[in-house]
Amino acid sequence: MVKISGFAIFILKKVLIYTVTLFLAFTLVFWVLRLIPGDPWSRFVDNLRILAIDPQISREFIEGYKRKFGLDKDIFTQYILYLSNLFLRFDLGISIASYPTPVQVVIMRSLPWSIGLLAICVLISWSIGIVAGAFIGWKHRSKLSSAMFTIALGMSQIPYFIMAILLIMILAYGFGLFPGRWAFSPSVTPGLNPAFILSVIRHGFLPALSIVVTSFLGWLVSTRALTMTILGEDYLLFAEAKGLKKIRMLNRYVLRNLLLPQATGLAISLGYVVNGAYVVEYIFQYPGVGTLLIHSFRFLDYNLAQGIIFVTMFTVLTANLIMDFLYPLIDPRVRTQGK
Amino acid sequence: MACESERCMSMLEVQNLEVYYESVWGNYKAVDGASFKTHKNEVFSIAGESGCGKSTLVDGILRLIKPPGHIPSGKVIFEGTNLLKIPEDELRGIRWVKMAYVPQGAMNSLNPIIRVEEQMTDAILDHGSMSKEEARELAGSMLKEVSLPVEVARMYPHELSGGMKQRVIIATAIALKPILIIADEPTTALDVVVQKGILQLLESLKEKYGMTVIVVSHDMAAHAQIADRIAIMYAGKVMEIGSIYDVFEQPLHPYTKGLISAIPAIGKKYVKGIPGLAPSPLNWPQGCRFHPRCPHAMDICSEVEPTMKEVSPERHVACHLYQ
Amino acid sequence: MSQLLGTLKQRASAFISLFKRSPTLIVGVALLSLIIFLAIFAPIIDQYRLEGHKATDLGYFEKFLPPSLKHPLGTDHFGRDVLGLHLTGLKFSLIVGALAGSVATLISVCIAVIAGYRGGIIDSILNGVTNSVLVIPSLPILIVVAYYTRLDLVGMCLTLAAFSWPWSTRVIRAQVLTLKERTFVDLARVSGQNGFEIMFAEILPNLIPYIIVGLGFSVIGAIFAETGLRIIGLGPPTVVSLGLLLQQALQYGLLTQKRYAEVMSMILLLISIFISLNLINKGMDEAFNPRLKKVTGQ
Repeated sequence: MVKISGFAIFILKKVLIYTVTLFLAFTLVFWVLRLIPGDPWSRFVDNLRILAIDPQISREFIEGYKRKFGLDKDIFTQYILYLSNLFLRFDLGISIASYPTPVQVVIMRSLPWSIGLLAICVLISWSIGIVAGAFIGWKHRSKLSSAMFTIALGMSQIPYFIMAILLIMILAYGFGLFPGRWAFSPSVTPGLNPAFILSVIRHGFLPALSIVVTSFLGWLVSTRALTMTILGEDYLLFAEAKGLKKIRMLNRYVLRNLLLPQATGLAISLGYVVNGAYVVEYIFQYPGVGTLLIHSFRFLDYNLAQGIIFVTMFTVLTANLIMDFLYPLIDPRVRTQGK
Repeated sequence: MACESERCMSMLEVQNLEVYYESVWGNYKAVDGASFKTHKNEVFSIAGESGCGKSTLVDGILRLIKPPGHIPSGKVIFEGTNLLKIPEDELRGIRWVKMAYVPQGAMNSLNPIIRVEEQMTDAILDHGSMSKEEARELAGSMLKEVSLPVEVARMYPHELSGGMKQRVIIATAIALKPILIIADEPTTALDVVVQKGILQLLESLKEKYGMTVIVVSHDMAAHAQIADRIAIMYAGKVMEIGSIYDVFEQPLHPYTKGLISAIPAIGKKYVKGIPGLAPSPLNWPQGCRFHPRCPHAMDICSEVEPTMKEVSPERHVACHLYQ
Repeated sequence: MSQLLGTLKQRASAFISLFKRSPTLIVGVALLSLIIFLAIFAPIIDQYRLEGHKATDLGYFEKFLPPSLKHPLGTDHFGRDVLGLHLTGLKFSLIVGALAGSVATLISVCIAVIAGYRGGIIDSILNGVTNSVLVIPSLPILIVVAYYTRLDLVGMCLTLAAFSWPWSTRVIRAQVLTLKERTFVDLARVSGQNGFEIMFAEILPNLIPYIIVGLGFSVIGAIFAETGLRIIGLGPPTVVSLGLLLQQALQYGLLTQKRYAEVMSMILLLISIFISLNLINKGMDEAFNPRLKKVTGQ
């Protein structure tokens, strides 16, 4: 008998749940898209019929499209085809609006912008939010920190896109400090040149700020509450009795104990952050996947829309999976749970 | 027992310490004018029921009281300085180096996410100029002192049993060879076999290192095992102080008598409890705090609070029967 | 009869003592009451103020009038009285929030109680479903549904609810798990109450603070999602919520026209809903966990 280590079982469990969730998510999307009244693919095809002048020619045209998109088969066959394409060949289909460009190519043009924006925003707001929250929680008895906290609490519930509108109003139109649209100015040439990089930073500033401010405040508020709980713990009292330096207590005893719950919170919040980020992108017409998604509906490009939804879900779920694997590193108690 | 002058020099002297907790209903006077003196190189016990204020007393001595608790008055004189008045840096310098603490909830007093070794060395490093290597070696030898295998150092707290965690705390406490160790309920929540080991360990500290160990516990049997002198606390005040033999053989205060007769022992036919309920810190009884439950209560007891009197050398009691 | 009165009085005074414990709660409830009051009575007053026209009707007044007694905030580019319009927006945003939030909370309570109480396989399955919905970014699917179905108010609220229930479910389930271990549950079981009865008669009343907090979050989440959908341009055009007004503001270039006051007024009304609900949540927390306050001595 081969003895399987507890850790291997841990990994296996996580990967299994991940795969099942992925599968469920994609299935959900498939069925939602096809069961809502007014089958979009047929609608696209019908639109073509309206555009075509000669009904005879258009019929072959339309049949061809139907075959291309697999609409001539019954729905269950479509489902199987779709799943096999997706999982076995990672084929997201062909973009309707940009025919014949495959959906993947279209997405890849915009994805780096979204990932860049999101990664920077999430990392900055989470890390600084936690440190600030711990500090404010540590000094919660001072009047200044209480005042700061109340303001933070009030502002932390503003949705990203509202913050975006506010920032555009004040900083872009009001003071003209930052541009309110796009990722870079049309007058610079893309590439690794300083003018381009500067333009990217300038244009990305407001979209990033919209997300970072509220996100940071959210982390501040939750970390403060958590810090105050930790401060009441026995091991903090013992640490103080040991006469440890304050820095060491803040770092090793408070911050480190915050990491696990806040890392879990980060993973859970990703879906929410992505949602808000997409709307923010749209407001700024920032060329990320969010704007692409909304335009894809305008142009009746359902394949593209479906593809973006998949990519989003895949990214969020994978990020969660990675976080699951990082937990044992952060908190030693998780390591022995499998045993 | 006569008192040799060198030993009788007080090391820790608590004078009229008060620790109050503010609440919407008033002040919880958890400790309300407690006084006692400990000598060098002895095991000094503080005994009393749950809720009498002994743990709060210890927190007060160590200046670990957090709001809404505060110390309105009193002195804690340690090696000539009043601990309650010195600035924080000076206090931090004294902590652990001269005065160590073995807390009540040893189970939860260890930081769950760092290794035992690190929790032992951080105190060592923050107080001196040892290198990390030296600190680690010191930690290892301390673990040996408390009869723990050296592998424990690299483990995490949740991998240890309650008794082991208690020993780790004690090992951490003795690392810098303080002259005073205060142990709050060191044997509660441990099983009897482990209890004995811990008590013996505490006693050995006195023998081996000449430390003074203050043991706070509601377990009279534990005190009987290792204490040299004992103070009995009730309702936020100290009622009686004396050597362990004197207090056990000839308890003076009626409360002490009640406590001792309540200890079960093999061969004892009856275990007598103390009638009545413990009073509330919001509203201590007038006069002598024990008078509602005292079988020898006199009229004066409900009006005037008795003061602590030294009825014989190193034998104190606060009771109208002896004034 | 007098016994009934007695219990009512008891409940009422317990309720009032809640407020005494937390000033935050008082402020939050006061703010929310003000908002709801405005939302209910403004349209009624508008009947008289706007000569029988609804605030959302287009073109009855002159465009771009400056603030005056008749139009305290002036009129907009469609000739609509701005004050009335914004308060109508407030009303609709609140309705959407309340409806969607209530449905979401209802779903989450049911799922949380069943999952927490039953445990075992049912719990694992429900937990898995909850986590999946939680992790899936809901906006794209919301967009799809909103785009292809001509949603009305109820439809939109149901769709919004379908994606916001997991958040409160986690919290309530955790609480159910704690409650399950308490002795009064064992007592009920021993005295012959079946599963359903226990769940709804014993556990549910103890969940009420958490349900209220969950409701608060659900309402906030629903209004968020609705506003987000609006900004993109989707959703029923008859439901004139603040989100829709914001979208119109963007569409008709209010920002470029430097009509900041109008936009700020919309934003402030929207934020005030969030702040009031947030304060209530925080207040509930303080009121039911006074321990926290005591420990930290605030």
